[in-house]
Amino acid sequence: MYQAIVFLPLLGALLGEPVGLRAGARAAEILTTGLLLLCAALSWAAFFQVGYGAQAHALVVPVAQWLKVGDLDVSWALRIDALTATMLVVVTSVSGLVHLYSIGYMAEDPSRPRFFSYLSLFTFAMLMLVTADNLVQMFFGWEGVGLASYLLIGFWYEKPSANAAAIKAFVVNRVGDFGFALGIFLVFALTKSVSFDAIFAAAPGLAGKSVHAFGMDVDALTLACLLLFMGAMGKSAQFLLHTWLPDAMEGPTPVSALIHAATMVTAGVFMVARLSPLFAHAPAALGFVTAVGATTALFAATVGLVQNDIKRVIAYSTCSQLGYMFVALGVGAYGVGIFHLFTHAFFKALLFLGAGSVIHAMHHEQDMRNMGGLRTKIPLTFWAMTVGTLALTGFPFTAGYYSKDAIIEAAYAGQGWTATYGFLCTVVAAGLTSFYSWRLVFMTFFGEPRAFGAHAHDDHAHGDDAHAHEPHESPATMLVPLALLSLGALAAGFAFHGAFVAPGAEAFWKGSIADMSGAVDAMEKVPGFVSLLPTLMMVGGFLVAYAMYVMRPGSADALAKAMPLAYRFLLNKWYFDELYDFLFVRPAFWLGRLFWKGGDGRIIDGFGPDGVSSEVLAVSGRVVRLQSGYVYHYAFAMMLGIAAIITWYLFMGVR
Amino acid sequence: MMPTFFPLASLAPELLIALAALGLLLLGAWRGERAAWIVAEAAIAALGIAAVMLVMRKGGVGARTFFHGAFVDDAFARFMQALSLVGGAVSLLLSFDWMRRRGIGAFEYPVLVLLATLGMMVLAAAGDLIALYVGLELMSLALYVAAAFDRDDGRATEAGLKYFMLGALSSGMLLYGASLIYGFAGSTAFDDIARAAQGHVSLGLAFGVAFLLAGLAFKISAAPFHMWTPDVYEGAPTPVTAFFASAPKMAAMAALVRVTTTAFPGAAADWRQIVVFVSILSMAIGGFGALGQRNFKRLMAYSSIGHMGFALVGLAAGSQAGVQGVLVYMAIYLAMTLGTFAAILLMRRGGAYVESIDDLAGLSKTDPATATFLTLLMFSLAGVPPLAGFFAKYYVFTAAIQAGLFSLATVGVLLSVVSAVYYLRIVKLMWFDEPKAAFDAGARAPRWTLALATAVVGLFFLLPAPLVDAALAAARALLPA
Amino acid sequence: MVGLGQYLVVGAILFTLGVAGIVLNRKNVIVILMSVELILLAVNVNLVAFSTFSGDLTGQVFALFVLTVAAAEAAIGLAILVTHFRVKGSIEVEDLNAMKG
Repeated sequence: MYQAIVFLPLLGALLGEPVGLRAGARAAEILTTGLLLLCAALSWAAFFQVGYGAQAHALVVPVAQWLKVGDLDVSWALRIDALTATMLVVVTSVSGLVHLYSIGYMAEDPSRPRFFSYLSLFTFAMLMLVTADNLVQMFFGWEGVGLASYLLIGFWYEKPSANAAAIKAFVVNRVGDFGFALGIFLVFALTKSVSFDAIFAAAPGLAGKSVHAFGMDVDALTLACLLLFMGAMGKSAQFLLHTWLPDAMEGPTPVSALIHAATMVTAGVFMVARLSPLFAHAPAALGFVTAVGATTALFAATVGLVQNDIKRVIAYSTCSQLGYMFVALGVGAYGVGIFHLFTHAFFKALLFLGAGSVIHAMHHEQDMRNMGGLRTKIPLTFWAMTVGTLALTGFPFTAGYYSKDAIIEAAYAGQGWTATYGFLCTVVAAGLTSFYSWRLVFMTFFGEPRAFGAHAHDDHAHGDDAHAHEPHESPATMLVPLALLSLGALAAGFAFHGAFVAPGAEAFWKGSIADMSGAVDAMEKVPGFVSLLPTLMMVGGFLVAYAMYVMRPGSADALAKAMPLAYRFLLNKWYFDELYDFLFVRPAFWLGRLFWKGGDGRIIDGFGPDGVSSEVLAVSGRVVRLQSGYVYHYAFAMMLGIAAIITWYLFMGVR
Repeated sequence: MMPTFFPLASLAPELLIALAALGLLLLGAWRGERAAWIVAEAAIAALGIAAVMLVMRKGGVGARTFFHGAFVDDAFARFMQALSLVGGAVSLLLSFDWMRRRGIGAFEYPVLVLLATLGMMVLAAAGDLIALYVGLELMSLALYVAAAFDRDDGRATEAGLKYFMLGALSSGMLLYGASLIYGFAGSTAFDDIARAAQGHVSLGLAFGVAFLLAGLAFKISAAPFHMWTPDVYEGAPTPVTAFFASAPKMAAMAALVRVTTTAFPGAAADWRQIVVFVSILSMAIGGFGALGQRNFKRLMAYSSIGHMGFALVGLAAGSQAGVQGVLVYMAIYLAMTLGTFAAILLMRRGGAYVESIDDLAGLSKTDPATATFLTLLMFSLAGVPPLAGFFAKYYVFTAAIQAGLFSLATVGVLLSVVSAVYYLRIVKLMWFDEPKAAFDAGARAPRWTLALATAVVGLFFLLPAPLVDAALAAARALLPA
Repeated sequence: MVGLGQYLVVGAILFTLGVAGIVLNRKNVIVILMSVELILLAVNVNLVAFSTFSGDLTGQVFALFVLTVAAAEAAIGLAILVTHFRVKGSIEVEDLNAMKG
């Protein structure tokens, strides 16, 4: 059964395109979607069997003997435990619904079989990642989702912005992967193994060990965890490596829902949770995780306040919520982090798909300033979005209420200044979240329809088919996933709260994540006001948004005019893109710059006058200038090389 | 067991190549240009048969030595010889179409490839400094001529002349090192040198090792002895460049690995430092040098410099796993390089060969199959899993980590990220830029080579065992675990 | 009595002269060919000296191999040089500069 869950999507990916060619796009759609839905059903079965069953240990299903070099012996096996089962459910359910939704959303696209193949391929890579039994296999899935997301973001490759975004995502993620790869190597060097069981067994003995590199001695375990977390930062778009996520919204909306809400971006969270037995022994690294998560949660929420592109608002919201998850992991409440991942997948996929439905209705208009009054035109989408918003903002008894409030409590109960910082950031971010979420709803669904006012009159390009401008409700294939996800967004928190985070959750996790009983017990003892605080923030955010966008619609603009500096600061995302432009020009940072700010296409082909990185060019130019074309220079370089080697011998080498 | 009265039967592959070279030379001299295609096809057949003979013998016979230890027939030699033969055969196959279009109907080129390959086989199996030198020169002299083979093209003759001058200098350095080693170790045989070079290494011997390694580093175009590579790759005829980039590197790397591990195991601490230095410099120069290149052949020159740096990471580890990593790396590099050069040979527009990477713009629309294959090769060269290039890097870096070379591994992984950028640039050009006019219909040989190389690179992860096991057996022949 | 050390010094001087000829000469490629011969000569001096002083013949055999190969090398070098001269009409080292970067 477990093999089927992992390999059915691969089957779909392989067959999608040929079937599409022979039997038409519809056959390919039905095939891939059917396989995915079957997968999802199996995953739920596995989830209940593993999570609530009596199996005490992780189930390891061998697939093949794989790599063997020196001490390193890697088998390809599927590791099925409570954590994996949770991820399986999230990935396959959302993926299946996204497949279904795409049938309606992509109906006008000529290369649908390819799209569905890519979707299934991505799902397969993601399943490889979550079922990994060792770090190398995980790295494979990790790079696989990166590659598949590159294909999906750049799916509309006729759009220059889409392929710039695809490259940016790929390159920024390479920075994170660089850390991840080094982390794997370091773990291997420390434990002589990459298999999770062996690493976790060895973890307690590693505390206090140090490693010597580049002339410094550093605590080995902390360094390893920080390097691994660097990979998580890239994939989960955390502060400093977040720049790719909003740009990646150039891809088709179902892709955003699948990749940027429920699956790929949560890979980082999953990885830290999976390795929590390792992180648990590196408190300094955990503190860093909390700080980064908290900063991201607050930072992304502030940027989300003023964005006008409907998908970008949700993208920044995703960034922010991922920050929440890392805060939970950082303070030791691993199960809480995964619980938020679980509930977030439902309501964020719902919001993305709802936004897709809005965009579909508006004929691919994404700017919220051109929307408004859609409540009556597309009522079902409106209700779905409202449910998603309620869950996201943590309205009592929806999914977000349970998971998000638990994170805030855990941060309050956590030890050290980073936990306090995390608590403050997450509370403030909760208010901001409520504001921007309701702002989105109000701007889109309430007020006067703006698209058909002054704006539409001079839009004569489509003058002859004016009826097509009328917003229309989406087809059933798009509405059914919305309904199912709404159900999840309402009930997932209530239904699984007890199993995931309540005291005694160990019975569910069965050792698949590190012991978190300390954090859970401390959460139970927090004062009552802490539990009330997020709800208050939520109500406050709602009221402010209601006041600004429904009662007095002009007040938002007035506020922006009153505080132009602050407004511009937020609108330009804290000038992060610009900051990377200016700050890292210095030679010492040129490399980081290449990859952080790198992917926007300019650096990829920009070695001309408008190229960003004059520093890279300089290094490259220096190498190239050495290559003068004169034989005697070449011969001289060879002699210099020999001289360097011999000099080294004379002074250092021969003992 | 072979009958003792005819021990040369074990050298059948080498003898076959030697006899084929001489026979075909005679045939060509007698029949003139009419024989050119027969000679070429016979040469490929000879290379193929020799490769099959080597592979068939795999495991059949253990390590044996001939000519008083000057020639070693072990799993390591067979592995690298087979790679050299494959490189020679495939690049010769790629040259047919090119030669025909350029109107060069000369029979000498296949003979030169045969002679060079024979030199490589001797080089990979040399167990003695004299045999090493003779093999190296046999290979090099043939290559100098091959570089200048398109003798009416000023760039080709310049490439030949540059390669010759610097190659002669490097041979001189290698020989000077060999003379010092002979003088201070008292022998030219590797195992005798190993006995003499235990414990304390005299200064003269250390000098000798440095010069010898410099000479071999030149042949694999490792920095700082790489300077000839971009110019020669650009100037030489493309099929010849394909040959340069593949087969000689296998043999020279084999010699480098064999000399260091069998002749100087006692001085490992010393030469490993040299290898680390050369490796880091090569990775850096390969990565940064390629960033600004527009000419695809020149870019591949820097790419090969970088890849040799990565392969040397395994040698720097100095362990059995490290040598295994080097061998796996070289084999995968061979497939990637031959595939890429096959793609370069498909770049023909309006009857003329083009070499700029800008000519690839929009290839995905005009020729999706070639674009897809080349994309996979580029991703593999960049080391993206699950393609073979990832495994190549993975093995060498793992070995380096096991040997405690954390700094080297860190720098290496970082530089592999740098090099990923320029491969990605080619992918971006092919998929996202405005298409140019379509290329002319390609010949069959390069198209099949490209497809086959891509298949090898793309599907390696399904069945890595044969190559990895063979590499392990080869590494065992040199070093105990 | 001339010892091994003296021979090695002569060899080293010859080698250095040869290398210097390649690195410093900007004019004629022929000079580079001569410099290469000088380097090989230095090697031969070394080999024969070592061979004599250690009473082992291998060095002298090696020297014969070097002589033979050097002859072939010079022939090939001159051949390529002639071809280049035919195309470009110059054998100045500084004119060998069509490809760079």
